[in-house]
Amino acid sequence: MKFSRKLSLVFALVVMLLVPLFPMVKAQDCPTAQDEYVIGFANLTEDIVFTQLVREGILAAAEEAGNVEIVLADNRLDGATALANSDNFIAQGVDGVIHFQTDEAFGNVIMSRFRREGIPVIAIDIPMPGATFFGADNYNAGRLAGEALGEWVNENWDGEANAMLVLELPQSGPIPAARMQGMEEGFQETVETPVADDMIFRLDSKNTQEESFQVVSDTLPTIPDAEKIVAITINDGTALGVIAAAEAAGRAEQIMVVGQGADPSGQEAIVAENSRYLGATGYFPELYGFQIIPAMIDLLECRAVAPAIYVNHVFINQENVCELYAEAWPDFCAE
Amino acid sequence: MQNTATAAPSRGMMPQLGRWLRGERLTTLNLFVTFVIICIIFASQAQFFLTLENFVNIGRTLGVVGIVSIGMTLVLITGGVDISVGSVAALSSVVASILWLQADVPLFLATVIGLLACTFVGFLNGYLIAVVRINPLITTLASFSIVRGLAFVLSNGQTNQLNDEAFKFLGRGEIAGFPVSLLLMIALYILFFFIMHFTQFGRNLYAIGGSPDASRLAGIAVRRHLLIVYTLSGFLAGLAGIIIASQLASSAPRAATGLEFTVIAAVVLGGTSLSGGKGSLIGTLVGVFILRVLDNGLVQTRVSSFYQDVVSGAVLLLAVGFDQLRLRLTSTFGGKS
Repeated sequence: MKFSRKLSLVFALVVMLLVPLFPMVKAQDCPTAQDEYVIGFANLTEDIVFTQLVREGILAAAEEAGNVEIVLADNRLDGATALANSDNFIAQGVDGVIHFQTDEAFGNVIMSRFRREGIPVIAIDIPMPGATFFGADNYNAGRLAGEALGEWVNENWDGEANAMLVLELPQSGPIPAARMQGMEEGFQETVETPVADDMIFRLDSKNTQEESFQVVSDTLPTIPDAEKIVAITINDGTALGVIAAAEAAGRAEQIMVVGQGADPSGQEAIVAENSRYLGATGYFPELYGFQIIPAMIDLLECRAVAPAIYVNHVFINQENVCELYAEAWPDFCAE
Repeated sequence: MQNTATAAPSRGMMPQLGRWLRGERLTTLNLFVTFVIICIIFASQAQFFLTLENFVNIGRTLGVVGIVSIGMTLVLITGGVDISVGSVAALSSVVASILWLQADVPLFLATVIGLLACTFVGFLNGYLIAVVRINPLITTLASFSIVRGLAFVLSNGQTNQLNDEAFKFLGRGEIAGFPVSLLLMIALYILFFFIMHFTQFGRNLYAIGGSPDASRLAGIAVRRHLLIVYTLSGFLAGLAGIIIASQLASSAPRAATGLEFTVIAAVVLGGTSLSGGKGSLIGTLVGVFILRVLDNGLVQTRVSSFYQDVVSGAVLLLAVGFDQLRLRLTSTFGGKS
């Protein structure tokens, strides 16, 4: 009995010592772990600056990793093309895939193929069932801009705005809607006197500067007495359309705008003299790759990865633009 | 006002009724009445619809569609179509902005070069249609894609700011309270109205649209006329692109997306036939006003944007359908259309 107790104790000690080693053993046995990786990246489109920056960031991060080769494809904003690109990736024997594709309806079909082949997938911005999500934290990104606008109104307009223009994108579903909701709630909860419901104008920007210009041009004559107007916008282009409409109507001094994106055209408007663009929440597409590539390597080497990884958003305005983009605006940052 | 390629004499009571129904000014009159009715409806629903500020706003945002519609009217009268106008409009401002910002070309000269580039695209369209004899829809669909792609390549997909006060004057400035772009549009309508109704060139366009073969046999230089018409369409689309850039103080390769559909809708609403030989610039102008006032009024009455599209489409269908009904009645009562 005594001997068997000792034996049990020794056995227990051995087990306790070996347990921490199990993950290492598992990593070495991970079927997808290799020294070099080939990763397919299918971009949303190559026609937009935002997605070009995503692609450049992914290539830079792959180079930094040293053991990753990227195979590029273009989904051309089309689900069927994304599916064809997926088949090509499988045929090329990639180890993992980063998909930036727009059509949620194709998500199931695309993912079933990769699951069958045991290929891990990271989906950018538009979730796909079974893929690790990487993208914007839309609601909180919106809130950052809304709160900044509310604080500005508290400091400069005695905590009160007469009207609010909401330049939204109703046809594009829940993602832009979450941004708009965050902006609106962030503003209304921060400003001392929230804008009355009947003075909130919801306008369809159709995601273009021209449409934004036109609908705001049509709305301004209906609020001739409003001298403190705030506008929350779905992106930089839409924000620039709002400002252009206010300038054309001779009412630029009566408006203050926030947006989403902070792309180069948005930054240019932010740093402009007497700018009516208070700022925009940054999405930093150029840095996407530096979070995505390590996450993909973790997936390939069977390490735990969170099911959703979010971008670290920052509200970019005149006060911090030089900390982030000093090289882009040397004249402004030299002052 | 309304020209047709064919006309025939008729006698008696019924033919008189038919002639009245066919009435050369009736389409435009119908349209004008429609326009007035729309204005009355919106005036009763939107408190600030009938204000000077709103009229100035409508005028300021009317020029782009109005100017491109002139070229489209001419093209449709000849029996063709130009799908490339939206892409061409984007090209002009992209070329101007690249030359100004990256090559230090003075903005005025850069704008002229941008316009020339668009004129050249129009000329190429005309050459392929008139000389090589490729179908106008196919030709301009191809250039629609090529030119838009070119705008993206040249700009690298970026929006460029064009903050020059003189440049902004074209899209935002006013003379005696009237928007400059509106005055420019009206001047162009007067010029082209004169060309279409008081010159041999204008009359020939109707004849070409009515029957290109008969026109050729009658000694009309059909190729030359088509070449000129598509070149003009390219130039006017380029001018509209410059106005857009001036209004927004920026150029974007994505600018004027879908412009071709709005323009074709305005021109068809104005009574111009898609099969050629029939149409008028006055009708087009009223069509442009109707579509713009509809957009303006629906925004001011806070109608959901989804319903706005439905209403705009329905008005187009009703107006064109009513005109077709009138033409059928014309035939029934002995007139000839």
